[in-house]
Amino acid sequence: MSAASQTRDSWRRLLGSLVLAVLLEQLPWSGWLLTIRPDFVLVAVLFWVLHQPARIGFGAAFFFGLLADFQDGAVFGQHAIAYVIGVYLVLFLRLRLLQFDPIRQAAQLFPILLTTQLVVLLVGWLAVNPPSGLALLLPVFTSTLLWYLIALFMRLWHGKGAQDRA
Amino acid sequence: MATPGQLMFARGLGPTTRLLFWLLLGASLVVVDSRYHALDGLRSGFSLLLRPVREVMLAPGDVASELGGFFTRHRLLQKERDALLAERTQLLAGMNEARELGRENAELRALMQLQARPGQQTIHAALLYRGHDWFAQRITIDQGASSGVRSGLPVVDANGLVGQVSRVYPLSSEVTQVSSPDQLTPVFVERTGQRGLAGGLGQGRLELRYMPTQTDIRPGDRLLTSGIDRVYPAGIPVGQVSRVSRSQASPYLRVESLPLAGIDRSRAVLVLIAEPRVTKP
Repeated sequence: MSAASQTRDSWRRLLGSLVLAVLLEQLPWSGWLLTIRPDFVLVAVLFWVLHQPARIGFGAAFFFGLLADFQDGAVFGQHAIAYVIGVYLVLFLRLRLLQFDPIRQAAQLFPILLTTQLVVLLVGWLAVNPPSGLALLLPVFTSTLLWYLIALFMRLWHGKGAQDRA
Repeated sequence: MATPGQLMFARGLGPTTRLLFWLLLGASLVVVDSRYHALDGLRSGFSLLLRPVREVMLAPGDVASELGGFFTRHRLLQKERDALLAERTQLLAGMNEARELGRENAELRALMQLQARPGQQTIHAALLYRGHDWFAQRITIDQGASSGVRSGLPVVDANGLVGQVSRVYPLSSEVTQVSSPDQLTPVFVERTGQRGLAGGLGQGRLELRYMPTQTDIRPGDRLLTSGIDRVYPAGIPVGQVSRVSRSQASPYLRVESLPLAGIDRSRAVLVLIAEPRVTKP
């Protein structure tokens, strides 16, 4: 396989997964499913920041954050700031995160996702009004679970030790 | 991680600098949006971008409910039809009465030279999307400025008041639900006529504010819009009182109520457009 077609292939996978994440969030979620819905887009963005930091970074995270702000009818910048901080943390811990197997990687991602959601909480609190309850933090758990499933899937798909080429 | 086509040490700015740049941008967006409301164009752009996607993504749910409906038992349908027919008869009788009352009312108003009540137009809309309700409870409906929706219009469903249009995009609009924090609705208690102000508490609950402790109110009382704000027409059911308690610290009763509109159940809503009041010389 030539280098060019490999590049095109990985771009396609990257964009495809991001589009899929956005589509999943557009489903008409409601009730308790909405309450525990994982943040598909954040997980996808952080996943690609971990594996392809040269292709996707702060700018993309910021854009998808604005999209999330629009979806919730929140103030613009709320999720954008949080996503950017999440990207920074993943970049900061990148070499460390890449060494772990899926379950430990997900466990290490948990504090990052939690920080992201706490930033959403804090910005919303400062800019809009106090949040209604702490249901805000529930998606962190499902997002972590989603990360574990994706990491496990990639591990099985590519074989051991090949996750860097995901 | 030097991939082909990328130099190892050719990075412009360090991650921390870039983080600070994006944080600054984000913070300024927050300020610009919350203080000056200057980003409505961006919101409209997103709404146009996502509108077709959201319509398409409604399809899986529709297909599932179609399939579910297909296997509904014949008996059940028959029973439902009988119930609907009975209800229709009742409604027809009620409507005749209401028409008669309306005619009489118009005559009386003309006699007393009162202003005629403004007529009412409605726009049918369907629930398009629901976001997280962490800070405000908003839903998106599939009608926007192009079909005459304006900011501030009341939105109702078959059971009661859903909320008020808060943002309008070209093809969709955002409705703030009555239970959203800081959303105020002037109401009166149906049984006693006592006027009050219902404020949202979040998490699908309402609170009737500033009710003195001796007020006659009890669980089960219905709250209707009073119409004194000229935003909501009078008499739309808003909520039902669920709990009344008093505390030593406050001179007011704590009256909690639940909204009547079934946002989780119904997908069709109506936007009410009050015609501008005609002033006679």
